Amino acid sequence: MMQQTSLQMAPPAMATDATSAKVSIRRLNFHYGSFHALRDINLDLREREVTAFIGASGSGKSTLLRVLNRIYDLYPGQRAEGEVLLDGQNILSPRQDPNLLRARVGMVFQKPTPFPMTIHDNIAFGIKLYERLGRTELEARVEQALRDAALWDEVKDKLQQSGLSLSGGQQQRLCIARAIATRPAVLLLDEPTSALDPISTAKCEELIDQLKDRYTIAIVTHNMQQATRISDWTAFMHLGELVEFGDTEQVFTRPRESRTEDYVTGRFG
Amino acid sequence: MQHNTLYLRRRIINTVMMGLSLAATLIGLVWLLLILGMLVVKGGSALNLALFTQMTPPPGSADGGLLNAIFGSLAMSLMAMLIGLPVGLLAGTWLAEYGRKQPLAELVRFVNDVLLSAPSIIIGLFIYEVLVMRMGHFSAWAGACALAVIVVPVVVRTTEDMLRLVPDTIREAAAALGAPRWKVITLISYRAARSGLVTGGLLAFARISGETAPLLFTALNNQFWSTDLNAPLANLPVTIFQFALSPYEGWQQLAWAGSLLITIVILALNILARVLSAGGKGK
Repeated sequence: MMQQTSLQMAPPAMATDATSAKVSIRRLNFHYGSFHALRDINLDLREREVTAFIGASGSGKSTLLRVLNRIYDLYPGQRAEGEVLLDGQNILSPRQDPNLLRARVGMVFQKPTPFPMTIHDNIAFGIKLYERLGRTELEARVEQALRDAALWDEVKDKLQQSGLSLSGGQQQRLCIARAIATRPAVLLLDEPTSALDPISTAKCEELIDQLKDRYTIAIVTHNMQQATRISDWTAFMHLGELVEFGDTEQVFTRPRESRTEDYVTGRFG
Repeated sequence: MQHNTLYLRRRIINTVMMGLSLAATLIGLVWLLLILGMLVVKGGSALNLALFTQMTPPPGSADGGLLNAIFGSLAMSLMAMLIGLPVGLLAGTWLAEYGRKQPLAELVRFVNDVLLSAPSIIIGLFIYEVLVMRMGHFSAWAGACALAVIVVPVVVRTTEDMLRLVPDTIREAAAALGAPRWKVITLISYRAARSGLVTGGLLAFARISGETAPLLFTALNNQFWSTDLNAPLANLPVTIFQFALSPYEGWQQLAWAGSLLITIVILALNILARVLSAGGKGK
């Protein structure tokens, strides 16, 4: 029922079929102090599908992602206007507790961010924030998260070693494991492979492909091939505006906008 | 050829400047080595077990030790750390995690820097005025408070510096899991900065273990064994000050031994701090 209300509010041009929308962004504007970083964004993230955000640096892709878990809230002077509905509830509402929201919307950053603790504790950290589990249950959850992130075989014998001792690619998969260990509804990936070598990148992409069976995923990427490989939907952003949004194949082969075509074919950006 | 003369000139200037820099370094180091050498020669011969088992002797006596002064210094330094460390840690945490660029934070930072470079004799006089005068007598409490005033700005500064070295991306990553701010600070920031924070504490301890002026006005000194914190308490720096200026051979020997002892402790604390901070970076 909530989805119907969002459908009514959706401007027709950019809206996809809202019946399976997990996240609905409506008339979203964002400001860094006096800088207007996002302008009137309308967009749906469909449940259990991958939506890629492409565009040049400074186009607002990362900013948009940072609205979806309200991580921008950590910094004074940053503010969002409009609506972002997660399962029909406006997460921008002042009544929404940002910490509870972030427990449901996981995020992985551009650079790996392992915490300065053991591999095991890196994963357990997020779980223990909101769940009281017995020892065996916790161990099982840690193992499951590491298995889901395709990291278990590489670290099962050194769970008590520092997370910082892993390689860059392993660290990033550790961060993905940490993000999915809390069983979020949505996963936000902000250029997760830009700091990784091609082999690690391939592993991460494979992982994302498996994860979409269970999670709604939004990924920011500068890599066009990556977007075509892993996403179902693609949003092209430019200077804070959403220029084009649609089926990934359509955006890359038959873009409606000439700006999109220029960008995906490498003529500007 | 033009090219070669230019190059030659550059090489000559380089050599001259290298020589000057090296000379400057040596001039700085020579004093440290001279002081250390002197202390080892003069104090080394006075080092013995009695130093740690006997009390400060009456004038003219040949034997005796520094037990009461060592105990007093340790007791007051530890109390000062107990008072100063929490205050400094919390203030430094506020500056790095909450205050950041707020005007109030800038003000606190400025005042802290002033306090950091305040002459310790003024801190002694201040505590004399607010504590010793009101209590009517010198005491170990007053001494510990004066030392605590020295500890606070050191710890505030190192705490803030060390926490600011923790990248915001790690804080964001913890917050993105739904961790409230205080958990991000206590479980992530503190842990990431742990070796730096310990280093700051050690350096503060090293700093106060040799302070004399603040104790002259507050704890004074005590010739005898005492554990009464509400009375004057013996301590190494003031004992060294008194004994070194005395005409008695035995006291002068003890002053040398005490100086060597303090120097070794401070050196050890500094080395420990270095090792810890190096270990922290290595991980």
